[in-house]
Amino acid sequence: MEKQRTILICDDEPTLRELVRVSLDGSYRFAEASDGFTALQLARELSPDVVVLDLMLPRLSGLEVLAKLRGDERLRSTPVLVITAWNDTMDVALEAGADQFVTKPFQPDELKDAVERLLSD
Amino acid sequence: MRRKGLSLEGRLLAASVALAMLVAAVFVALILAITTLHETTNQEAESKDVTVSALELERLVLDIQNSMQSYVIAGRKSLLAPYASARKALPEKVRQFQREASAEDRAQGQRARVLGEAINAYANYLDALLTFTGEERLAAARDAMKVEAKIEVDDIRSQFVRFHAAEDARAAMRADSASTSAQRAIAFGIAGLAASAVLIILFGLYLARSIARPVRDAAAGAARFAGGDLSTRLKPGGPGEVGELTSSFNEMAERLAQARSELEAQNAQLRESERLKTELVNIVSHELRTPLASVLGFTSVLLTRDFDSETRRHYLGIIDAQARRLSGLIDDFLDVRRIEEGRFELDHELLDMAALLREEALLYSGQSREHQVELDLPDEPLPVRGDPDRLRQVIGNLLSNAIKYSPGGGTVELAAARNGDSVHISVRDEGIGIPETSQSRIFTKFFRGEMATSGISGTGLGLAVSRDIVESHGGRMGFMSAEGEGTTFWVELPKGNGQEGRLPANEPEDS
Repeated sequence: MEKQRTILICDDEPTLRELVRVSLDGSYRFAEASDGFTALQLARELSPDVVVLDLMLPRLSGLEVLAKLRGDERLRSTPVLVITAWNDTMDVALEAGADQFVTKPFQPDELKDAVERLLSD
Repeated sequence: MRRKGLSLEGRLLAASVALAMLVAAVFVALILAITTLHETTNQEAESKDVTVSALELERLVLDIQNSMQSYVIAGRKSLLAPYASARKALPEKVRQFQREASAEDRAQGQRARVLGEAINAYANYLDALLTFTGEERLAAARDAMKVEAKIEVDDIRSQFVRFHAAEDARAAMRADSASTSAQRAIAFGIAGLAASAVLIILFGLYLARSIARPVRDAAAGAARFAGGDLSTRLKPGGPGEVGELTSSFNEMAERLAQARSELEAQNAQLRESERLKTELVNIVSHELRTPLASVLGFTSVLLTRDFDSETRRHYLGIIDAQARRLSGLIDDFLDVRRIEEGRFELDHELLDMAALLREEALLYSGQSREHQVELDLPDEPLPVRGDPDRLRQVIGNLLSNAIKYSPGGGTVELAAARNGDSVHISVRDEGIGIPETSQSRIFTKFFRGEMATSGISGTGLGLAVSRDIVESHGGRMGFMSAEGEGTTFWVELPKGNGQEGRLPANEPEDS
């Protein structure tokens, strides 16, 4: 059995974090952050295999978290999946270094496929 | 200009009549001058007649004098022939002379009368001398001719001299006055013609200045206006209809310019409302997408997988809560529209604010694990007259804001107390606070301050709607905030008066 993967879910909405957890429906280890500051802290602490990042985060926005991750020697190549409410912000997210994105509302399978793709790369 | 009341037509008519009258006056004066000249000429002719009569009369007197003289010296009857013919013509000549002289002038008439009487007396005296015949009588007559007759004839002659002198003086005076009036007539005629010419020129200038030029200016102004320069105005004033034309034009221009600026303002307003609508659509799409993602996501999960009944119930609970949240958002948008359209209806029932606050505190304390909702309420009920659903909406909004804007967690204190004739409610948090630059606009619709970029979601409607609700209840709403230390929102509602017994049953403690 392969090593359990760690997924960091960053969203200020508890229900959305739960939805991400339920959608991924796998034997992952989940870490959750409700604001950008905690998200960055946990990422540095846990070195997660995938970061699921909402762009609308208190204290430190998703884009700022993304920029900081990409600026971090150790976390530079960590795959990041961005969840956004606006199609408009996708370009900005991809430019900032996001590997995948989904738009709200998303299908659970859509999210699951995207995360699995990131893990298999 | 001077007389606003007179129409242009009236003015032109008046000016023409005045001009015509002036020209007529000049001609009347000329005719009068010529008539005077003519009269003077007539008088001169009359004067010549009188002089001729006087000379003829003088000759007759000389004839009878000389004839008589010759007779008394020579004594020959034949020498009296001239006397007889002159004596015969004399009375008629005297009358003619007197008539002509008195026709001319009273003084001359008087002189002629005296002169005539003297001549008649002299002739009668000579007649009397003729009755003396014989040598000694002739000698007496000779003496008489030398003395008495001589005195009389000398007197007559000197009277003639005086008469002629007076006549000459009169003639000279008349000639003088004739030449003066001729000169005056010529001067008057020249002055009148010059004045007429000047007046006609002035009239032409008046026509050009006060009609032709304003009309031309008006035409040019209208052309500029038609070309799109709505600031064009004509110089106000001008006589009669021209003045009306310019003032009407200016009025029309004013109205059009005003209408255009109104249209521009409306246009700007429309653009602003269009911008707000676009913003609204963005906010709505964002705010609706988050709960929608949960509703659709969990529904999909429930539909595609099997769960035990407890998990299923949990997910259905989430779906229910998020669907309600969606519904609440839609209500908020509708409230904004109702408030904007002025059809915001409120119930006015007596309710206990303390009980309402307890319910809300209970509801929100379950929403976040990082926040503690503390209640500070008096034991007595806090009666308020109002719409319970709307007031619940206000308190709910303040509590959810307090939680939302203190992302690090902490205590949210909900307090209320009677304060004179009002009920004072406050919601205090230990959150991020409101930056000073945003404080003045915190109640503006769709204003979210720095929150729009901070990642904290929201519509920017909650506070705007809440304040409208509070003010509709006759209350006030405000806040105190320090960045980094937290915010306290307060609401003051008028105390509800009415029978306390009608208050809904008050649960003593949270049950």
